[in-house]
Formats: sequence, structure tokens, C-alpha cells
Amino acid sequence: MSTDVLDEELRDCFQELSNVAVGRAADLLARLLNNFVIMPIPVVNLLERAELSMALSAIADASSVSAVCQGFTGSKIAGEALLIFNDASFQDMAELTQFKGEITEQIELELLMDIANILIGACLKGLAEQIDVSFSQGQPYLLGQHINIEELLNRNGSTWQRLLTIELPYKLEGREVNCDLLLLFTEDSLAILRNKMSYLLE
Amino acid sequence: MTVPLLVVDDSSFARKQVIRALPKGWDVEVSQASNGEQALELIKAGKGDVVLLDLTMPVMDGFAVLEEIKARDLPAVVIVISGDIQPEAEARVMKLGALAFIKKPLDSEQLHQVLSDFGILSV
Repeated sequence: MSTDVLDEELRDCFQELSNVAVGRAADLLARLLNNFVIMPIPVVNLLERAELSMALSAIADASSVSAVCQGFTGSKIAGEALLIFNDASFQDMAELTQFKGEITEQIELELLMDIANILIGACLKGLAEQIDVSFSQGQPYLLGQHINIEELLNRNGSTWQRLLTIELPYKLEGREVNCDLLLLFTEDSLAILRNKMSYLLE
Repeated sequence: MTVPLLVVDDSSFARKQVIRALPKGWDVEVSQASNGEQALELIKAGKGDVVLLDLTMPVMDGFAVLEEIKARDLPAVVIVISGDIQPEAEARVMKLGALAFIKKPLDSEQLHQVLSDFGILSV
């Protein structure tokens, strides 16, 4: 069993690399929706799986959420990206995308997938470029619609016990849109990431 | 004359990167702050004639720092260095009186160019 730790220096470095990556994703989202995005401050942790739900501060009070999940891998680093929307966000999201009509579950799913493609792709690419790796992404799939956070996390089938987590709580200015992009890395990835980042830390 | 220079970023890693990117031989006294509140205190104490300012920070962000500097007419020249690359973010900081906007990851040559363009190096 690995007892790898996340020391303050490495955590700080992850946070800054994530900051640059989320900035690119925020820029794309702002262009798509024509709405200013309030940049999230990345929250980096090394957690037990059981602690994950408590760590999701940004959407913790949402009674009903929807989420997609997408795996990624490259340079012996493996992880999953989860995009979790507070269901209360969809009304405003539909308005911002000029959608007129009834917001059905199908429409919500399309919005969720569209935003996931933009945010997850840009974030992973931004992160990867800075540490000189490249990730290939699997197909995104729906984890669930209109369920609570506990149930959502239970549906995420991966069995990793400890995870490096980067939480990116996005908000749209003047809108009731709350979404949380969560990057989860396997514990084994941590040593490789540390290695890739060593030239930055020195 | 030694220039009081203030580097503001919530990440110590990012502050280190900025300090490393400063032109060699530039006569500065570097102070650091990890949020906007600390930054304003240091500016008021005369530690930040030139400020290299991040935007996304806890406690008080860079936009709020620029607002305060403008409202109180504090003697600070501000260059924003940020990962928030939305065109709207740049427009806002320029409107709030920032001298220039530099995108992260920081390119030291771009920083040198900006400092030189605005005559800050020769002060």
C-alpha cells in the first residue's frame, strides 16, 4: 500500500497549474454562453473515497444533481473527470444558450454533455501541457440525472481508495448556475505527477 | 533608486515564478502578499510602488484590489498577471486602472517588455 503524501509545496503547485488550466476552460465557457465566468479557486486534496462527498463544498447543499463522467489516461497517469451540475442551474443554462421551449431531461442531458466537453477537455489539456504529458480521454457518460450527491458518487464505479482530487467550482456571474468540475487521479498517479512537476518545484 | 515591488498571488509557487522572471539587475525591494487585503496594507505602507497582481485569490481578489487603489487614489502602478484569460477580465482590469494584463503561464520576456514599454525599469 502506498503511503504517498501531498505536501504543501506540491499542493500549492497543483493549485497553480490548475488555476492556469481552468482559466482556459473558463474563457471557452464564457465565449459559448456570452456570460462572465467567476474563476474558481482550485481545491486540491488527497482523500479517501469515503471523504469525497464531504469535500464537494460547492454543491453540497444541492438536493438534486446531474453529472457526467469521463476517464482519462496518459504517461502512466490515470484519472476521471466528473462534471456535476446543481439541477437548479438548467433553467439559466438553457436561457444562455438561447434555447426556447420545454426543458426536458433530454435537453438537460445535451446541455450537460456540451458543457462537459468544453470544460473537461480544456482543463485536461491545459494541465497536461504544463507538465508535458498528453492525456487521451474516454467517452463521456452520464452518471445520473436528478439524484443526490451520495447516490451519484456511489454510481461512480471506480474502486480507488485514495484519490488526488482537484475541485473546480465554476459560477456564472449574475446567474444561478453552479457546477463543480472534479478531477480525480489515482493514488499511483501522484508519484508520476510529482516527478513531472519536479522541474517546476526544484 | 530601489523600487518597492509587491508580488501578489495566493500561490507561493506562482510568486516564486514571478520573482524569478524579474529582469536581472533591476534594483527592487520585493515584498509578497497572498491575498488582496495583505496587498493593500503593504501598498499603504509604501511597499508597492509597482504591483504584480494576480486576480483569482481568496479573501480579497485582484479586481477588488484595483477598485480600492482607484477609490483611494493609492500610489501604485499595477500590472495584472492572471490565469483568468477571459477578454472581459482584461477589459475590467484595464478599466480599473491596471497598466497592463499578462496571461499565465508567465513569459518572462513579455514581463520585461511591459516593464520596459512603460518606463518602469528606468525609474
